[in-house]
Amino acid sequence: MSAAGLAVCVALAFAGLSALALSLDRHHRAALRGPVPKARIAPLRGAGWAGLALSLYAAVALAGWNFGLVQALGAVTAAALAVAVCLTYRPGWLRPAAVAALPIAAAFLPFALAAQ
Amino acid sequence: MSEPRRFRPAMAWLHTWAGLVVGWVLFAVFVTGTASYYKDDISRWMRPELSESQADPVLAATRAGEYLAGQMPEAGGWFVKLPKAEEPVTEVYWWKSFAGPFHHALLDPVTGLPSKARDTRGGDFLYRFHFELGLPSLWGRWIVGACAMVLLIALISGIVTHRRIFADFFTFRPDRSRQRAWLDAHNLVGVLALPFHLMITYTGLATLGLMLMPWGAQTAYRGQVPLFYEEAGLMTQSRPPAGRREPGLPLGEFVRKAERTAGEPPEGLLIASPGDAASTVNAVFEEPHGLAHLHPQIAYDALTGAEWARNGTPGGATRTATVMYGLHEAHFAAPALRILFFLCGAMGAATVASGLVLWTVARTPKGAAPAGLGLRLVRILNIGTIAGLPAGIGAFFLANRLLPLALTHRAEWEVGAFFGAWILVALVGALTPRRRAWPASLGLAAATFLAIVPADLILVGEARFVAFDMAMLAAATLLILAARTATKPPAALTRRPSPQVAQA
Repeated sequence: MSAAGLAVCVALAFAGLSALALSLDRHHRAALRGPVPKARIAPLRGAGWAGLALSLYAAVALAGWNFGLVQALGAVTAAALAVAVCLTYRPGWLRPAAVAALPIAAAFLPFALAAQ
Repeated sequence: MSEPRRFRPAMAWLHTWAGLVVGWVLFAVFVTGTASYYKDDISRWMRPELSESQADPVLAATRAGEYLAGQMPEAGGWFVKLPKAEEPVTEVYWWKSFAGPFHHALLDPVTGLPSKARDTRGGDFLYRFHFELGLPSLWGRWIVGACAMVLLIALISGIVTHRRIFADFFTFRPDRSRQRAWLDAHNLVGVLALPFHLMITYTGLATLGLMLMPWGAQTAYRGQVPLFYEEAGLMTQSRPPAGRREPGLPLGEFVRKAERTAGEPPEGLLIASPGDAASTVNAVFEEPHGLAHLHPQIAYDALTGAEWARNGTPGGATRTATVMYGLHEAHFAAPALRILFFLCGAMGAATVASGLVLWTVARTPKGAAPAGLGLRLVRILNIGTIAGLPAGIGAFFLANRLLPLALTHRAEWEVGAFFGAWILVALVGALTPRRRAWPASLGLAAATFLAIVPADLILVGEARFVAFDMAMLAAATLLILAARTATKPPAALTRRPSPQVAQA
């Protein structure tokens, strides 16, 4: 897969994992002050898993099952490390970064498709 | 006590001790193995005399054949690795028997004379170190294989021990107690890259599998293990030497034939019993695009040049094994994905290192009680490995630039610099008072990497090596950050001691 395709997968996984992290009290407290409201847990988890699923789908669609699975796992690992580092040292940046990751993924998508 | 309640502590005990006994070897394996993802780039940097140019593989093969005939005309075998655009040098190996020794030389592709490139083992040294540890090959592989087996046990018992994999998935609290911070760090790098850790350990064992457990193939093929490789489709048929000398065609002919048949030049030629009337020349092709590590081959009769055999199509089991091999090596990974493999490998090294440090932090006696012998020994070995090995790698690169080009046994001196710097930094770590041991030894390791950049700029200074020099700066920065963290007095790290710390 091209570098652009990998960027799409990492960005989608980052957005998804950020949503999952924000559905946990400890990280919500750090990133947005205060525990996560009960009503927001389910939507955050849904969005989080959707982001991960999209990342996997993009990897498999762009590179096929054999390479796609390898790349999806690599992308999730890198994105998870980025979320953890962000939560530790700049927790306030997590939500804006996760929101920004979506247009970034969209911006790289044409390049990823062109490189196929 | 009921069974489930005893299970987790038992696994925690297993994880702690299994991880400790193999940790030092594994750290070295992870670091040098991770560097091997850039083996070819390292080799190019270490042989700056080879600038990129196009070499003719047909001429290179013929010249290599002439050189080899001069070295060992009645050899058991020769191997010629042909030049490529990004590596314009012919690599030749020759041997009397498969038991070794294997001789090796780099040749100029045009003249067929020994290459003018400096004498170095290049990235190949780090690559081989990661599964042979610089020991005689079988010894090293057995030790690494045994350690990898224990690592698999440590990984699985670690997963069982870790009670809050999902709740603590992103959690890292460096501002809490030292023990909590190290446990968090260990869990974080261990869990986030867990798919990689399991994959690399299992596939690593699989690549050593036939060496660790040769009995199946030996029994089924009555000691004729090469037959097994033939039937698996990994090698072509072989034939015994005739015992009569008869010169074969120039090697370039086989490159031309192979290119005509396959549409691409082969990666190398393997010549069995050269100069014999029954000699064969195998054209070995590069891996086809895919996860599997496969090398298609066409064998030719060395005298007539007629095609004699091809390797068969591998079956399901062979394909599975070659995919494991392929995943481990990641030759298929383009630059972007390669960065992720490198990152995962670095997280593997970090998992081992943080586990080793955690072992000592969790056992540091409170107050003024003296540390026991075991604890002091583990501390010294930790510093010696975690700071010493990087210092060795830095010194290895530095020696490549600083040693005189005409030095005899230059390549061995570079390896000597690797082990020398490693031992030196380990000694510094062992003899410095405890408070300053980590900063001093990590600082020394950082200094070796920092020194590489000016040495390269002054002595070679080529634009194509900028990325490598930047990587050296990044390694130095990481080591300086680590040294700074280790300089902080424990008080600053133990502001809020956590009341209860899980044991693991």
